[in-house]
Amino acid sequence: MSNIIGILNYGIAGNIRSIDMAIKKAGGTVKIINHRDDFIGISKLVIPGVGSFNDTIRELNKNNLFKILKEKINTIPTLGICLGMHILAKVGYEHGKSEGLNIFDSKVRLLNINSKIPHVGFNQIKVIKTNKLLYGLENEEFYFMHSYEFICDYSISSITNYCGYDIISSINKGNVYGVQFHPEKSKEQGIKLFKNFINL
Amino acid sequence: MNVRILVKLEIKPPFVVKPVYFEGLRKVGSPVLLANKYYEQGADEILYIDIVSSLYQRNIVFDIIKETADNLFIPFSVGGGVKTIEDFSELFHIGADKVVINTYAIQNNPNIINAAAKIFGKQAVVVNIEVKEWDHFYECYSDSGKIGTGKELFSWIKEVVDRGAGEILLQSIDRDGAKNGFDIELAKMVVDSVNIPVVISSGAGELKDIKELIEYAKPSGVAISSILHDNDHTIKEIKKYLSDNGIKVSK
Repeated sequence: MSNIIGILNYGIAGNIRSIDMAIKKAGGTVKIINHRDDFIGISKLVIPGVGSFNDTIRELNKNNLFKILKEKINTIPTLGICLGMHILAKVGYEHGKSEGLNIFDSKVRLLNINSKIPHVGFNQIKVIKTNKLLYGLENEEFYFMHSYEFICDYSISSITNYCGYDIISSINKGNVYGVQFHPEKSKEQGIKLFKNFINL
Repeated sequence: MNVRILVKLEIKPPFVVKPVYFEGLRKVGSPVLLANKYYEQGADEILYIDIVSSLYQRNIVFDIIKETADNLFIPFSVGGGVKTIEDFSELFHIGADKVVINTYAIQNNPNIINAAAKIFGKQAVVVNIEVKEWDHFYECYSDSGKIGTGKELFSWIKEVVDRGAGEILLQSIDRDGAKNGFDIELAKMVVDSVNIPVVISSGAGELKDIKELIEYAKPSGVAISSILHDNDHTIKEIKKYLSDNGIKVSK
Protein backbone atom coordinates (compact mmCIF):
# COMPACT_ATOMS: atom_id res chain seq x y z
CA MET A 1 0.00 0.00 0.00
CA SER A 2 1.23 3.48 -0.80
CA ASN A 3 2.24 5.65 2.11
CA ILE A 4 1.96 9.20 0.85
CA ILE A 5 1.58 11.95 3.38
CA GLY A 6 -0.48 14.90 2.26
CA ILE A 7 0.33 18.31 3.70
CA LEU A 8 -2.58 20.69 3.53
CA ASN A 9 -1.67 24.07 2.04
CA TYR A 10 -4.59 26.25 2.98
CA GLY A 11 -3.43 29.61 1.84
CA ILE A 12 -1.49 32.60 3.00
CA ALA A 13 0.25 31.85 6.23
CA GLY A 14 1.33 28.23 6.43
CA ASN A 15 4.98 27.35 6.77
CA ILE A 16 4.60 24.06 4.97
CA ARG A 17 8.17 23.88 3.71
CA SER A 18 9.58 23.07 7.17
CA ILE A 19 7.10 20.22 7.58
CA ASP A 20 7.82 18.96 4.09
CA MET A 21 11.58 18.90 4.87
CA ALA A 22 11.08 17.21 8.24
CA ILE A 23 8.86 14.43 6.86
CA LYS A 24 11.34 13.78 4.06
CA LYS A 25 14.14 13.68 6.65
CA ALA A 26 12.06 11.08 8.53
CA GLY A 27 11.90 9.00 5.36
CA GLY A 28 8.39 9.87 4.24
CA THR A 29 6.92 10.71 0.84
CA VAL A 30 5.05 13.99 0.68
CA LYS A 31 2.33 15.44 -1.50
CA ILE A 32 1.27 19.05 -1.05
CA ILE A 33 -2.49 19.53 -1.15
CA ASN A 34 -3.35 22.80 -2.83
CA HIS A 35 -6.75 21.79 -4.17
CA ARG A 36 -9.52 19.37 -3.22
CA ASP A 37 -8.54 16.97 -6.03
CA ASP A 38 -5.07 16.64 -4.48
CA PHE A 39 -6.53 14.54 -1.65
CA ILE A 40 -6.69 11.62 -4.08
CA GLY A 41 -3.98 9.06 -3.43
CA ILE A 42 -2.82 10.19 -0.03
CA SER A 43 -2.83 7.75 2.88
CA LYS A 44 -2.14 10.17 5.72
CA LEU A 45 -2.70 13.85 6.32
CA VAL A 46 -0.81 16.63 8.10
CA ILE A 47 -2.53 19.92 8.87
CA PRO A 48 0.10 22.59 9.52
CA GLY A 49 -0.58 25.71 11.44
CA VAL A 50 0.64 29.25 11.30
CA GLY A 51 -1.80 32.14 11.36
CA SER A 52 -5.10 32.60 13.13
CA PHE A 53 -8.09 30.33 13.76
CA ASN A 54 -10.76 32.38 12.06
CA ASP A 55 -8.62 33.30 9.01
CA THR A 56 -7.84 29.61 8.51
CA ILE A 57 -11.45 28.48 8.75
CA ARG A 58 -12.42 31.27 6.34
CA GLU A 59 -9.72 30.14 3.85
CA LEU A 60 -10.95 26.53 4.10
CA ASN A 61 -14.51 27.61 3.36
CA LYS A 62 -13.43 29.94 0.57
CA ASN A 63 -11.46 27.15 -1.12
CA ASN A 64 -14.28 24.68 -0.65
CA LEU A 65 -12.09 22.45 1.53
CA PHE A 66 -13.97 22.39 4.84
CA LYS A 67 -16.25 19.40 4.14
CA ILE A 68 -13.75 17.22 2.28
CA LEU A 69 -11.14 17.90 4.97
CA LYS A 70 -13.54 16.72 7.64
CA GLU A 71 -14.28 13.57 5.64
CA LYS A 72 -10.58 12.85 5.22
CA ILE A 73 -9.82 13.39 8.90
CA ASN A 74 -12.48 10.81 9.72
CA THR A 75 -11.00 8.23 7.33
CA ILE A 76 -7.19 8.50 7.28
CA PRO A 77 -4.57 9.05 10.02
CA THR A 78 -4.29 12.79 10.58
CA LEU A 79 -1.86 14.98 12.47
CA GLY A 80 -2.74 18.58 13.29
CA ILE A 81 0.16 20.81 14.28
CA CYS A 82 -0.38 23.90 16.49
CA LEU A 83 -3.11 25.85 14.69
CA GLY A 84 -3.69 22.67 12.67
CA MET A 85 -4.60 21.03 16.00
CA HIS A 86 -6.66 24.01 17.08
CA ILE A 87 -9.00 23.90 14.08
CA LEU A 88 -9.92 20.31 15.03
CA ALA A 89 -11.87 21.89 17.90
CA LYS A 90 -15.56 22.62 17.98
CA VAL A 91 -15.08 26.32 18.47
CA GLY A 92 -12.28 28.87 18.55
CA TYR A 93 -12.05 32.29 20.16
CA GLU A 94 -9.20 33.94 18.23
CA HIS A 95 -10.21 37.36 16.86
CA GLY A 96 -13.87 36.54 17.66
CA LYS A 97 -15.78 33.27 17.77
CA SER A 98 -15.61 30.82 14.89
CA GLU A 99 -16.67 27.24 14.38
CA GLY A 100 -13.95 24.65 13.90
CA LEU A 101 -13.98 21.21 12.28
CA ASN A 102 -15.61 19.75 15.40
CA ILE A 103 -13.54 16.56 15.50
CA PHE A 104 -12.99 17.05 19.22
CA ASP A 105 -15.57 18.40 21.66
CA SER A 106 -13.32 21.26 22.65
CA LYS A 107 -12.53 24.93 22.41
CA VAL A 108 -9.52 27.12 21.76
CA ARG A 109 -8.90 30.26 23.77
CA LEU A 110 -6.15 32.69 24.67
CA LEU A 111 -3.67 31.25 27.18
CA ASN A 112 -5.11 32.08 30.57
CA ILE A 113 -1.93 32.60 32.53
CA ASN A 114 -0.15 35.28 34.44
CA SER A 115 3.10 35.03 32.52
CA LYS A 116 4.67 35.96 29.23
CA ILE A 117 2.57 35.20 26.13
CA PRO A 118 3.29 33.70 23.62
CA HIS A 119 4.70 30.57 25.19
CA VAL A 120 7.93 30.17 23.19
CA GLY A 121 10.71 27.64 23.53
CA PHE A 122 11.60 24.02 24.14
CA ASN A 123 9.45 22.48 26.83
CA GLN A 124 8.91 18.97 28.10
CA ILE A 125 5.81 16.89 27.47
CA LYS A 126 4.36 14.75 30.24
CA VAL A 127 2.45 11.83 28.80
CA ILE A 128 -0.95 11.13 30.38
CA LYS A 129 -2.02 8.43 27.96
CA THR A 130 0.54 7.26 25.48
CA ASN A 131 -0.11 6.43 21.86
CA LYS A 132 1.77 5.30 18.77
CA LEU A 133 2.68 8.85 17.77
CA LEU A 134 4.44 9.53 21.08
CA TYR A 135 6.09 6.13 21.29
CA GLY A 136 9.64 6.54 22.62
CA LEU A 137 9.16 10.28 23.14
CA GLU A 138 7.53 10.19 26.56
CA ASN A 139 9.65 12.80 28.35
CA GLU A 140 11.11 14.66 25.41
CA GLU A 141 11.24 18.40 24.88
CA PHE A 142 9.52 19.98 21.90
CA TYR A 143 9.37 23.49 20.51
CA PHE A 144 6.30 25.53 21.43
CA MET A 145 5.27 28.84 19.89
CA HIS A 146 1.68 29.79 20.66
CA SER A 147 -0.64 32.27 22.36
CA TYR A 148 -3.80 30.14 22.26
CA GLU A 149 -4.52 26.83 23.92
CA PHE A 150 -6.68 23.80 23.25
CA ILE A 151 -9.18 22.97 26.00
CA CYS A 152 -10.89 19.58 26.27
CA ASP A 153 -11.88 17.08 28.94
CA TYR A 154 -11.18 13.89 27.01
CA SER A 155 -8.61 12.64 24.50
CA ILE A 156 -5.66 14.27 26.25
CA SER A 157 -2.37 12.46 25.49
CA SER A 158 0.11 14.81 27.15
CA ILE A 159 0.35 18.00 29.10
CA THR A 160 3.15 20.54 29.39
CA ASN A 161 3.83 22.89 32.24
CA TYR A 162 4.41 26.54 31.45
CA CYS A 163 5.10 28.74 34.45
CA GLY A 164 3.02 26.60 36.78
CA TYR A 165 0.13 26.13 34.39
CA ASP A 166 -0.62 22.86 32.57
CA ILE A 167 -1.28 23.22 28.87
CA ILE A 168 -2.67 20.37 26.78
CA SER A 169 0.31 19.58 24.56
CA SER A 170 -1.11 16.68 22.56
CA ILE A 171 -4.41 14.95 21.91
CA ASN A 172 -5.56 11.75 20.26
CA LYS A 173 -8.83 10.13 19.29
CA GLY A 174 -8.75 7.08 17.03
CA ASN A 175 -6.61 7.97 14.05
CA VAL A 176 -6.60 11.70 14.73
CA TYR A 177 -3.66 13.28 16.52
CA GLY A 178 -2.96 16.86 17.45
CA VAL A 179 0.19 18.44 18.86
CA GLN A 180 0.45 21.93 20.28
CA PHE A 181 4.19 22.00 19.64
CA HIS A 182 6.08 22.07 16.35
CA PRO A 183 7.73 18.69 15.68
CA GLU A 184 9.25 20.11 12.48
CA LYS A 185 11.22 22.51 14.70
CA SER A 186 12.06 20.14 17.53
CA LYS A 187 15.44 18.65 16.58
CA GLU A 188 15.84 14.84 16.36
CA GLN A 189 12.88 14.13 18.63
CA GLY A 190 10.62 15.94 16.15
CA ILE A 191 11.92 13.80 13.28
CA LYS A 192 11.26 10.73 15.44
CA LEU A 193 7.65 11.84 15.90
CA PHE A 194 7.24 12.07 12.13
CA LYS A 195 8.78 8.60 11.81
CA ASN A 196 6.16 7.34 14.24
CA PHE A 197 3.46 9.04 12.17
CA ILE A 198 4.80 7.50 8.95
CA ASN A 199 4.74 4.07 10.63
CA LEU A 200 1.17 4.34 11.97
CA MET B 1 10.84 26.95 31.54
CA ASN B 2 14.10 26.41 29.66
CA VAL B 3 16.03 29.49 28.65
CA ARG B 4 16.57 29.47 24.90
CA ILE B 5 20.10 29.68 23.60
CA LEU B 6 19.95 31.34 20.19
CA VAL B 7 22.69 31.93 17.67
CA LYS B 8 22.72 35.31 15.95
CA LEU B 9 24.07 35.26 12.41
CA GLU B 10 24.69 38.73 11.02
CA ILE B 11 24.70 38.55 7.26
CA LYS B 12 26.28 40.67 4.59
CA PRO B 13 25.25 38.51 1.65
CA PRO B 14 26.62 36.03 0.88
CA PHE B 15 28.60 35.85 4.14
CA VAL B 16 28.14 35.74 7.88
CA VAL B 17 30.06 38.69 9.29
CA LYS B 18 30.70 39.94 12.79
CA PRO B 19 30.90 43.65 13.56
CA VAL B 20 32.12 45.12 16.84
CA TYR B 21 29.86 47.83 18.29
CA PHE B 22 27.93 47.46 14.98
CA GLU B 23 31.01 48.69 13.09
CA GLY B 24 33.53 46.94 10.86
CA LEU B 25 32.61 43.75 9.12
CA ARG B 26 34.80 40.75 9.76
CA LYS B 27 33.96 37.86 7.47
CA VAL B 28 33.15 34.69 9.41
CA GLY B 29 31.88 32.16 6.89
CA SER B 30 28.94 30.71 5.02
CA PRO B 31 25.43 31.09 6.48
CA VAL B 32 24.43 27.59 5.40
CA LEU B 33 27.48 25.90 6.93
CA LEU B 34 27.46 27.95 10.13
CA ALA B 35 23.73 27.51 10.71
CA ASN B 36 24.20 23.77 10.34
CA LYS B 37 27.24 23.72 12.59
CA TYR B 38 25.34 25.51 15.38
CA TYR B 39 22.28 23.33 14.85
CA GLU B 40 24.48 20.25 15.30
CA GLN B 41 25.94 21.80 18.46
CA GLY B 42 22.46 22.06 19.99
CA ALA B 43 21.33 25.64 19.29
CA ASP B 44 17.68 26.22 20.17
CA GLU B 45 17.09 28.75 17.42
CA ILE B 46 18.92 30.52 14.61
CA LEU B 47 18.56 34.26 14.10
CA TYR B 48 19.49 35.36 10.60
CA ILE B 49 19.80 39.11 10.20
CA ASP B 50 20.90 40.78 6.99
CA ILE B 51 22.63 43.84 8.42
CA VAL B 52 23.17 45.70 5.15
CA SER B 53 19.87 45.43 3.27
CA SER B 54 18.12 48.30 5.08
CA LEU B 55 21.24 50.44 5.21
CA TYR B 56 22.09 50.05 1.52
CA GLN B 57 18.43 49.72 0.50
CA ARG B 58 19.08 46.37 -1.08
CA ASN B 59 16.54 43.68 -1.75
CA ILE B 60 16.25 40.70 0.56
CA VAL B 61 18.41 37.84 -0.76
CA PHE B 62 15.83 35.08 -0.54
CA ASP B 63 17.84 32.24 -2.07
CA ILE B 64 20.51 32.22 0.66
CA ILE B 65 17.79 32.33 3.32
CA LYS B 66 16.02 29.40 1.71
CA GLU B 67 19.20 27.36 1.50
CA THR B 68 20.01 28.14 5.13
CA ALA B 69 16.52 27.11 6.26
CA ASP B 70 16.70 23.69 4.64
CA ASN B 71 17.83 20.95 7.00
CA LEU B 72 17.49 23.19 10.06
CA PHE B 73 15.04 21.41 12.32
CA ILE B 74 14.89 24.23 14.84
CA PRO B 75 13.17 27.62 14.72
CA PHE B 76 14.60 30.03 12.19
CA SER B 77 14.01 33.77 12.57
CA VAL B 78 14.86 36.03 9.69
CA GLY B 79 15.20 39.79 9.37
CA GLY B 80 16.90 42.60 7.54
CA GLY B 81 15.26 44.80 4.92
CA VAL B 82 11.69 43.62 5.63
CA LYS B 83 9.23 46.26 4.40
CA THR B 84 6.00 44.64 3.28
CA ILE B 85 3.50 41.93 4.17
CA GLU B 86 4.64 40.22 0.96
CA ASP B 87 8.19 40.08 2.42
CA PHE B 88 6.80 38.40 5.55
CA SER B 89 4.80 36.00 3.43
CA GLU B 90 7.72 35.08 1.19
CA LEU B 91 10.04 34.57 4.17
CA PHE B 92 7.56 32.21 5.87
CA HIS B 93 7.08 30.44 2.57
CA ILE B 94 10.79 29.67 2.18
CA GLY B 95 11.23 28.43 5.73
CA ALA B 96 11.31 31.26 8.26
CA ASP B 97 9.28 30.66 11.41
CA LYS B 98 9.46 34.22 12.64
CA VAL B 99 10.24 37.46 10.87
CA VAL B 100 12.37 40.10 12.56
CA ILE B 101 11.72 43.76 11.84
CA ASN B 102 13.25 47.05 12.93
CA THR B 103 14.12 49.81 10.44
CA TYR B 104 10.95 49.94 8.37
CA ALA B 105 8.72 49.79 11.46
CA ILE B 106 10.53 52.50 13.39
CA GLN B 107 11.45 54.82 10.50
CA ASN B 108 8.57 54.41 8.07
CA ASN B 109 5.46 52.65 9.19
CA PRO B 110 4.90 50.94 12.56
CA ASN B 111 1.49 49.71 11.34
CA ILE B 112 3.30 46.84 9.63
CA ILE B 113 3.61 45.25 13.10
CA ASN B 114 -0.17 45.31 13.56
CA ALA B 115 -0.81 44.00 10.08
CA ALA B 116 1.73 41.17 10.31
CA ALA B 117 0.55 40.11 13.78
CA LYS B 118 -3.04 39.93 12.57
CA ILE B 119 -2.23 37.84 9.50
CA PHE B 120 0.58 35.58 10.72
CA GLY B 121 -0.08 35.53 14.46
CA LYS B 122 1.86 37.62 16.95
CA GLN B 123 4.24 34.77 17.79
CA ALA B 124 5.68 35.12 14.29
CA VAL B 125 6.57 38.81 14.64
CA VAL B 126 9.84 39.70 16.37
CA VAL B 127 10.77 43.34 16.84
CA ASN B 128 14.50 43.95 16.81
CA ILE B 129 15.59 46.86 18.96
CA GLU B 130 19.05 48.34 18.59
CA VAL B 131 19.71 50.61 21.54
CA LYS B 132 22.42 53.06 22.50
CA GLU B 133 22.75 54.80 25.84
CA TRP B 134 23.29 58.55 26.07
CA ASP B 135 23.73 59.40 29.76
CA HIS B 136 20.75 57.29 30.89
CA PHE B 137 18.70 58.12 27.82
CA TYR B 138 18.25 54.95 25.78
CA GLU B 139 17.85 55.78 22.10
CA CYS B 140 16.59 53.28 19.51
CA TYR B 141 18.59 53.01 16.30
CA SER B 142 17.79 51.71 12.84
CA ASP B 143 19.79 50.39 9.90
CA SER B 144 21.99 48.10 12.01
CA GLY B 145 22.91 50.68 14.58
CA LYS B 146 23.79 53.36 12.07
CA ILE B 147 20.94 55.85 12.32
CA GLY B 148 19.54 57.33 15.53
CA THR B 149 15.76 57.59 15.52
CA GLY B 150 15.32 59.88 18.52
CA LYS B 151 12.84 57.35 19.93
CA GLU B 152 13.17 56.52 23.59
CA LEU B 153 13.53 52.81 24.28
CA PHE B 154 10.70 52.19 26.74
CA SER B 155 8.09 54.21 24.89
CA TRP B 156 8.98 52.36 21.67
CA ILE B 157 8.81 49.02 23.47
CA LYS B 158 5.39 49.84 24.82
CA GLU B 159 4.26 50.87 21.36
CA VAL B 160 5.46 47.69 19.62
CA VAL B 161 3.89 45.48 22.30
CA ASP B 162 0.58 47.34 21.95
CA ARG B 163 0.81 46.90 18.20
CA GLY B 164 1.13 43.11 18.54
CA ALA B 165 4.82 42.22 18.63
CA GLY B 166 5.24 38.63 19.82
CA GLU B 167 8.83 38.89 20.92
CA ILE B 168 11.60 41.46 21.41
CA LEU B 169 15.21 41.05 20.39
CA LEU B 170 17.27 43.57 22.34
CA GLN B 171 20.68 44.44 20.95
CA SER B 172 23.01 46.92 22.61
CA ILE B 173 25.17 49.01 20.30
CA ASP B 174 27.42 49.80 23.27
CA ARG B 175 28.12 46.13 23.96
CA ASP B 176 27.72 44.11 20.77
CA GLY B 177 30.72 42.14 19.57
CA ALA B 178 32.99 43.39 22.35
CA LYS B 179 32.79 40.27 24.53
CA ASN B 180 32.82 42.42 27.68
CA GLY B 181 29.57 41.21 29.23
CA PHE B 182 25.89 42.15 28.87
CA ASP B 183 24.21 45.28 30.15
CA ILE B 184 22.27 43.26 32.69
CA GLU B 185 20.55 46.27 34.27
CA LEU B 186 19.12 47.31 30.92
CA ALA B 187 18.19 43.71 30.15
CA LYS B 188 16.28 43.39 33.41
CA MET B 189 14.42 46.65 32.89
CA VAL B 190 13.33 45.55 29.43
CA VAL B 191 12.33 42.01 30.47
CA ASP B 192 10.32 43.37 33.43
CA SER B 193 8.61 46.03 31.33
CA VAL B 194 6.75 43.68 28.97
CA ASN B 195 4.50 40.63 29.00
CA ILE B 196 6.03 39.07 25.88
CA PRO B 197 9.27 37.06 25.57
CA VAL B 198 12.51 39.03 25.38
CA VAL B 199 15.74 37.75 23.85
CA ILE B 200 18.88 39.54 24.99
CA SER B 201 21.87 39.92 22.73
CA SER B 202 25.21 41.73 22.80
CA GLY B 203 27.97 41.07 25.24
CA ALA B 204 28.69 37.39 25.86
CA GLY B 205 32.42 37.07 26.49
CA GLU B 206 32.83 34.54 29.26
CA LEU B 207 30.39 31.81 30.22
CA LYS B 208 29.67 33.53 33.50
CA ASP B 209 28.38 36.58 31.60
CA ILE B 210 25.58 34.42 30.22
CA LYS B 211 24.85 32.88 33.61
CA GLU B 212 24.71 36.29 35.34
CA LEU B 213 22.43 37.68 32.66
CA ILE B 214 19.99 34.79 32.99
CA GLU B 215 20.01 34.80 36.80
CA TYR B 216 19.57 38.55 37.08
CA ALA B 217 17.36 39.55 34.16
CA LYS B 218 15.51 36.25 33.50
CA PRO B 219 15.18 36.70 29.74
CA SER B 220 13.35 34.11 27.62
CA GLY B 221 16.44 33.70 25.50
CA VAL B 222 20.03 34.74 25.02
CA ALA B 223 21.48 35.37 21.56
CA ILE B 224 25.13 34.58 21.10
CA SER B 225 27.52 35.10 18.21
CA SER B 226 31.14 36.24 18.74
CA ILE B 227 32.23 33.56 21.22
CA LEU B 228 30.83 30.89 18.90
CA HIS B 229 32.33 32.36 15.72
CA ASP B 230 35.70 32.66 17.46
CA ASN B 231 35.43 29.05 18.66
CA ASP B 232 35.90 30.18 22.27
CA HIS B 233 33.03 27.89 23.24
CA THR B 234 30.50 25.57 21.66
CA ILE B 235 26.76 25.65 22.35
CA LYS B 236 27.18 22.31 24.06
CA GLU B 237 29.74 23.78 26.47
CA ILE B 238 27.54 26.80 27.14
CA LYS B 239 24.54 24.60 27.90
CA LYS B 240 26.52 22.26 30.10
CA TYR B 241 27.93 25.20 32.08
CA LEU B 242 24.47 26.72 32.55
CA SER B 243 22.95 23.39 33.48
CA ASP B 244 25.76 22.70 35.98
CA ASN B 245 24.94 26.06 37.53
CA GLY B 246 21.29 25.20 38.01
CA ILE B 247 19.89 27.02 34.98
CA LYS B 248 17.31 25.09 32.97
CA VAL B 249 18.22 24.72 29.30
CA SER B 250 17.02 22.28 26.68
CA LYS B 251 19.21 19.35 25.69
